[in-house]
Amino acid sequence: MRNNSTSFWAFALALPILGFVLPKVGLNEYYFYVAYVVLQYVVLATAWNILGGYAGYVNFGTGAFFGLGAYTALVAMKAFGAPLFVQIAAAAIVGALLGIGAGLLTLRLKGIFFSIATIAAAIVIETFILNWRFVGGASGMQVIRPEVPLGFETYTRLLFFVMTILTVLAIIVARYIEKSWVGRGLHALRDAESAAECSGVPTLRLKLLACAISGALMAAAGAPFPLYTSFIEPHSTFSLNYSVMALSMAVVGGMSRWWGPVLGAILIASTQQLAASASPELHLLVVGLLMVLFVIVAPDGLVGLVQWARKMVGPGRKEVELARGSERA
Amino acid sequence: MSNFTKRSVLRTMLLGLGLATIAQPIWAQDNPIKVGTSMALSGPLAGGGRQSRLALQMWVEDINSRGGLLGRKIELITYDDQGSPAQSPGIFSKLIDLDQVDLLIAPYGTVPAAAVMPMMKERQRLLIGQIGFQINSKTHHDMWFNNSPWSDADSWVGGYFKLGQKVGVKKVAFLAADQEFSQNILAGAKTLATKSGFESVYEQTYPPTTVDFSAMIRAIRAAAPDMVFVASYPADSTAIIRAVGEIGIGSSVKLFGGGMVGLQYEAVMNTLGSQLNGIVNYHTYVPEKTMAFPGVREFLDRYTERAKAENVDTLGFYVAPFSYAAGQILEQAVKATGSLDSVELAKYLRSNEVQTIVGPIRWSADGEWAEPRVVMIQFRTIKDGDAEQFRQEGKQVVVDPDRFRTGDLISPLSEAQRN
Repeated sequence: MRNNSTSFWAFALALPILGFVLPKVGLNEYYFYVAYVVLQYVVLATAWNILGGYAGYVNFGTGAFFGLGAYTALVAMKAFGAPLFVQIAAAAIVGALLGIGAGLLTLRLKGIFFSIATIAAAIVIETFILNWRFVGGASGMQVIRPEVPLGFETYTRLLFFVMTILTVLAIIVARYIEKSWVGRGLHALRDAESAAECSGVPTLRLKLLACAISGALMAAAGAPFPLYTSFIEPHSTFSLNYSVMALSMAVVGGMSRWWGPVLGAILIASTQQLAASASPELHLLVVGLLMVLFVIVAPDGLVGLVQWARKMVGPGRKEVELARGSERA
Repeated sequence: MSNFTKRSVLRTMLLGLGLATIAQPIWAQDNPIKVGTSMALSGPLAGGGRQSRLALQMWVEDINSRGGLLGRKIELITYDDQGSPAQSPGIFSKLIDLDQVDLLIAPYGTVPAAAVMPMMKERQRLLIGQIGFQINSKTHHDMWFNNSPWSDADSWVGGYFKLGQKVGVKKVAFLAADQEFSQNILAGAKTLATKSGFESVYEQTYPPTTVDFSAMIRAIRAAAPDMVFVASYPADSTAIIRAVGEIGIGSSVKLFGGGMVGLQYEAVMNTLGSQLNGIVNYHTYVPEKTMAFPGVREFLDRYTERAKAENVDTLGFYVAPFSYAAGQILEQAVKATGSLDSVELAKYLRSNEVQTIVGPIRWSADGEWAEPRVVMIQFRTIKDGDAEQFRQEGKQVVVDPDRFRTGDLISPLSEAQRN
């Protein structure tokens, strides 16, 4: 366990350093565009998994939180000239508040009803932005990038570095939740909410906490989006695609461990980029087939496959897992 | 070592030089000029994107059959941007950094194209536009040359309001989708209405997912406007015209239409058939004699055959000629300058007129057409279930501007519907 922790914290420290150094060693700009998108999905899938995976509340409102983060950043930039890091912080706060608000209104609903309510939340926010002329309304708005800070050559390279930091933060938060009392409480309410409540688990407080953290991370992932695209408009910013992709990545990666959505996001986002290059027509089909394949062949995702492979390689592993399970219980 | 004399070294060098000279044409064939672009090949804009790709492929085939450019073949590299600004910057970085394209054509559509403009300015690359609106208004990139027959909202729908003034319009109703294009056009249309002294008696924007327009059409009818300006996308255009057909818009309406996207597409036109009669709408090209620019009909004949095979809109009036012309713009500039350098090409395009199948083009300082020429057409004598009729003259009569006019406006709408 200690070894795992050491290697995790080494990775958590190394990734931002890599994110700072790599853009300065003359690598091709295109790789940073791709890496930014992949990391953005890592954050979104990890954030989605906190509520969807750990607590079992399937959220279709990822696009709403992502879009809200993007527009919060735009408002902070346009109205106050706020720098990028302030924009991200503002987006995270607004995302957390929306998470709590949406949670209070919708968490009494369960299953498919909760999912429908999250779609409705996304539509409500998008409609509000569509009619808000200050941020361009339905016409959208072109965003002029300011001077690039911290000695980066281009804004895309800076945004890649920023996204590595957000990725590490999202992973640290997800890992902490998984291993702490919060995660155990969320698992309990996912398996049997009434039983968990009877046993003294503060279910509403935990669900609200999960909503707030998940919302804050999703909104933070959306905050650099206006500077990444240089053009923002509601239709693509609040796209249902973000919700579907985040969910699919968590499903393909596996929802029981923090590294499941990370692997799922890397696999799907990278495959999509490669497939788009190979065939402009077939790339959506390729990704769709990949998802279908995983749902049928590996319903527990990559996490399940890795666990299965470990069992096959080391027969003693099963006992260790059981022992750890009983320790938790 | 002793065999390494000066003479043998010189001989080897000359032999190498000679071989390189002979091999150059062969090598040149293997080193094509790469032209890169992206377009929506999936998603709601795919109909136009596929037209655009086919037309550009035809330009590449045509130019390669004539021996290419600067003695080199042309290779077209396209990617699917799904019409999204989240996709196009990454794609254009790939085109420039990985594919190392020599020439660039902007994505099809305003939103994905606007997202690549800062990068084009940063990299100082020439960009030829295709069907986009006010893309360079904030970036002010001096190597941007749009290829759309409009410059601002006035140039797009100004003709519609001019017609309104001609037939004595006093009251106007606005109906527009809550989307990028329609909101841009609506803003311009409202300014034009104010300038023309029209009173707005009804204004409604609707979400893009709206399918039932009966309440809105009833409300417009109740407001009794003289003119109805609609800015809509293909699916809503169809639903609005059907609602008008079922409910009626009232005898007071002298003009109906203006900014409806979809009434240029074969599938929508076929679906609506005779319900189109009387509607006045913007267009980029119609097969009228005043718009018979050199080469356009020949191109469209060939395009139709190819489009049938590739399951793309076979009329192709709205997008295809302009995408083909985007290639012609590059072709003429490269031939004239003998260079692929963006600065050289931009310098040439800034100061020269280019001949294309959509007519001669000259650009103003902001990279938009110096002489926009959006036409207002009126649908006449359209029958149901006849796709071929849209290729005939007299079915989409140009009623504005005067230099392309092929007929007078028939007004009011009820009178025009009978013709």
